[in-house]
Amino acid sequence: TETKKLPLYLPFLIFPILLFYFSELLGDILREKPQEADGIDSVVVVDNVPQVGPERLEKLKNVIHKIFSKFGKITTEFYPEVEGTTKGYIFLEYAAPTQALEAVKNADGYKLDKQHTFRVNLFTDFDKYMNISDEWETPEKQPFKDFGNMRHWIEDPDCRDQYSVIYEAGERTAIFSNDAKEPITVEERARWTETYVRWSPKGTYLATFHQRGIALWGGEKFKQIQRFSHQGVSLIDFSPCERYVVTFSPLMDTKEDPQAIIIWDILTGQKKRGFHCESSAHWPIFKWSHDGKFFARMTPDTLSIYETPSMGLLDKKSLKITGIKDFSWSPGDNIIAFWVPEDKDIPARVTLMQMPSRQEIRVRNLFNVVDCKLHWQRNGDYLCVKVDRTPKGTQGVVTNFEIFRMREKQVPVDVVEMKESIIAFAWEPNGSKFAVLHGESPRINASFYHVKNNGKIELIKMFDKQQANSIFWSPQGQFMVLAGLRSMNGALAFVDTSDCTMMNIAEHYMASDVEWDPTGRYVVTSVSWWSHKVDNAYWLWTFQGRLLQKNNKDRFCQLLWRPRPPTLLSTEQIKMIKKDLKKYSKIFEQKDRLSQSKASKELVDKRRAMMEDYRRYREAALQIYQEQKSIRLELRGGVDTDELDSNVDDWEEETIEFFINEEIIPLGDL
Amino acid sequence: MKPILLQGHERSITQIKYNREGDLLFSVAKDTVTNVWYSVNGERLGTYNGHTGAVWCVDCDWDTKNVLTGSADNSCRLWDCETDDNQPYLSVPCSDHKITSAVWGPLGEFVIAGHENGEINQFSAKSGEVLKKAKEHSRQINDIQPSVDLTIFISASKDNTAKLFDSTSLDHIKTFKTERPVNSAAISPIMDHVVMGGGQEAMEVTTTSTRIGKFEARFFHAAYEEEFGRVKGHFGPINCVAFHPDGKSYSSGGEDGYVRIHYFDPQYFDFELEA
Repeated sequence: TETKKLPLYLPFLIFPILLFYFSELLGDILREKPQEADGIDSVVVVDNVPQVGPERLEKLKNVIHKIFSKFGKITTEFYPEVEGTTKGYIFLEYAAPTQALEAVKNADGYKLDKQHTFRVNLFTDFDKYMNISDEWETPEKQPFKDFGNMRHWIEDPDCRDQYSVIYEAGERTAIFSNDAKEPITVEERARWTETYVRWSPKGTYLATFHQRGIALWGGEKFKQIQRFSHQGVSLIDFSPCERYVVTFSPLMDTKEDPQAIIIWDILTGQKKRGFHCESSAHWPIFKWSHDGKFFARMTPDTLSIYETPSMGLLDKKSLKITGIKDFSWSPGDNIIAFWVPEDKDIPARVTLMQMPSRQEIRVRNLFNVVDCKLHWQRNGDYLCVKVDRTPKGTQGVVTNFEIFRMREKQVPVDVVEMKESIIAFAWEPNGSKFAVLHGESPRINASFYHVKNNGKIELIKMFDKQQANSIFWSPQGQFMVLAGLRSMNGALAFVDTSDCTMMNIAEHYMASDVEWDPTGRYVVTSVSWWSHKVDNAYWLWTFQGRLLQKNNKDRFCQLLWRPRPPTLLSTEQIKMIKKDLKKYSKIFEQKDRLSQSKASKELVDKRRAMMEDYRRYREAALQIYQEQKSIRLELRGGVDTDELDSNVDDWEEETIEFFINEEIIPLGDL
Repeated sequence: MKPILLQGHERSITQIKYNREGDLLFSVAKDTVTNVWYSVNGERLGTYNGHTGAVWCVDCDWDTKNVLTGSADNSCRLWDCETDDNQPYLSVPCSDHKITSAVWGPLGEFVIAGHENGEINQFSAKSGEVLKKAKEHSRQINDIQPSVDLTIFISASKDNTAKLFDSTSLDHIKTFKTERPVNSAAISPIMDHVVMGGGQEAMEVTTTSTRIGKFEARFFHAAYEEEFGRVKGHFGPINCVAFHPDGKSYSSGGEDGYVRIHYFDPQYFDFELEA
């Protein structure tokens, strides 16, 4: 008979049977081996075993042995019999409790034949179920932890974005609301984090780092939402859907219990799975698909893809890809791009593979390849593979950009050849342009290309002799900043790529970072104390390059804009709003003008109050001063020195002559 | 008006002081020389030679009879103002946190001293014990100057701020923030203004943009704590600032070895921040 999953009334059924188990098994085993606490932990009970007579027992034992020795070394087996026939359940002891666990995990539910499906349980589980109380106890209801509106910041009526600032060399962390006039402090805490902070991809959580793990904060008041214990954590990564967080600690890793990388479920706080990690050189080790359904990592010659929420390998096995060098997910679809280098006479190639089907959508052969880098456009519309090659018969390295058009049938590939070495490459986030910085200092050029629908890739414009080593596109596209960070002394160029004009050229001396706000309205340039020990500040600019604020912060370290969740508006609704933009502009301009005058009123009131306080203080001090006059006269032997003109009689009149000017006046011929 | 440039030192100026009546300006520098000038036209009156080390501070008494200088040669010298008779007066030892500047209290009953660690203490002039403490600055105090009636004083600190205190209670009243270490600050005798001069130590200068030129004297409104003006001109950090006792001019001495006397334009006295 099939037994269903152990029901709660089991104790009543099984008690007499267990007594039997105990007396039969314990007697034998305990007599043979010294009593060890974990001896019983290695034992499994297999139920629904065919009941056979002595003539088929040998065969049965072989079959069972074959099946169950897959999970470990079987040290003892016991086939209870009654009147010469096996009872239908057996006991197997493994060399270690972990092996017994494997057997339960993998063999429970194994269909031997039509009538026999194994039920495998740990012997100790019976003990556990024995101890369930007879009364049904409703599980204790966890009190609902209300963290308030987790998206509270989005509801700001003036659409201000938030950003985090770490300063005082990490001692203080503050959250500000970005207002064009001056930052508004939302929250400020000392020692909120021990190293740095990270926002989750949709902006819901702020993650802080501590010796014992990480903490997530959110809601209007930035309460602690969740805590994950991972001693010595140094790096984290969020899944794009904000369902999971991955933590890495170089400290925790043992053979039995991989703990270097742990994946956590954010809402429940549960540890989902742990992994080994040899080195964190290329964090994140696990790359997530855009919808959070899969995550994958690369190990020598292997690509392992896991699915959520089970955290198990997709199709229960990894992909063997000899020589795989790098891979990345499309940000728009569940497609993985990876490349392998040349192998004897097989050329290097880039492959696009659809997940979960593993169908190869596109393969591109490349020749004489030195290195490849994968650059996806943010919507997954295009993939650029930057290929460094040494053409046959030459010594030097040239670079090609292989542009894969993902949205077109058969994924056509176009090639752009570059004559100079590449310093930086960046796609327009939601468009079809890309920018390249190429050349060598001091002759660095910035080129803008447009991937057109007609199969051509057009060079729109090239700016030469630029002081730039980094490209920063606005998240909304069209605008961008070319920056010469660090060694290039903070040169900035604000570009409008719709007509490729320089809107403004400016400088933030020794700037180390450039960060666009999520709406593309503002840019922050900053000098981090981590890279430069003086002039630590962050400056706020408009997207056109007009400087709005200079915010000096003692030992300023890091500024991160809070990301926004994707818009809830449909494309239709966005079209409607763009159509009525003029109407909205008028309303906003009026609002801006009102707030400007209000600010000066606030300032004026503040000053008035300060002046009144100061006056009051000075008057009180002056009164005491008057009262002390007699002491002063005494100290100076009767001479009144309170004012410069206190002793007019003592004054001497002196006439001094100054040389002021010399003028030569010709008297003409006399 | 164009500032008057005083060239009488070969090394950086360490301190400048007006006498009580304001007609004389004393300057001392790292070149061991002490100079005295007419403040009205910048003509040099005389020099006091005798120190063998950098002279760090100078002061003259209320009726301009004697001049006191303190030097790195571990001596203080008392000079007769009119002649340059040198009379070594005394050498003063120090323990604990080095005292970097000091001024007298309003009635001579205590000394207000600023320390290397940012502390400001009141020492009794009779017993030497600490009467009051104030720890408002986080880094070294570079200069302390009292108002002309000695009721309040301003402290200039390496922590990029200057603070206004009540002399008797040591209550902290105002803070003036900049992005550079403040080397010296002074309180205007007739307006609600303070002037501050600063800049970085020479070795840090190369890591900032000299084009931006941070060698300016900065004027703040004493009640609003807001900056309202800057005066450029020095080729190096400003080490000392002082107001003329009548408040109609001020002087600054810099790392470049120059002392500049500035007479205010009429607009300075009419200027008001909207309130």
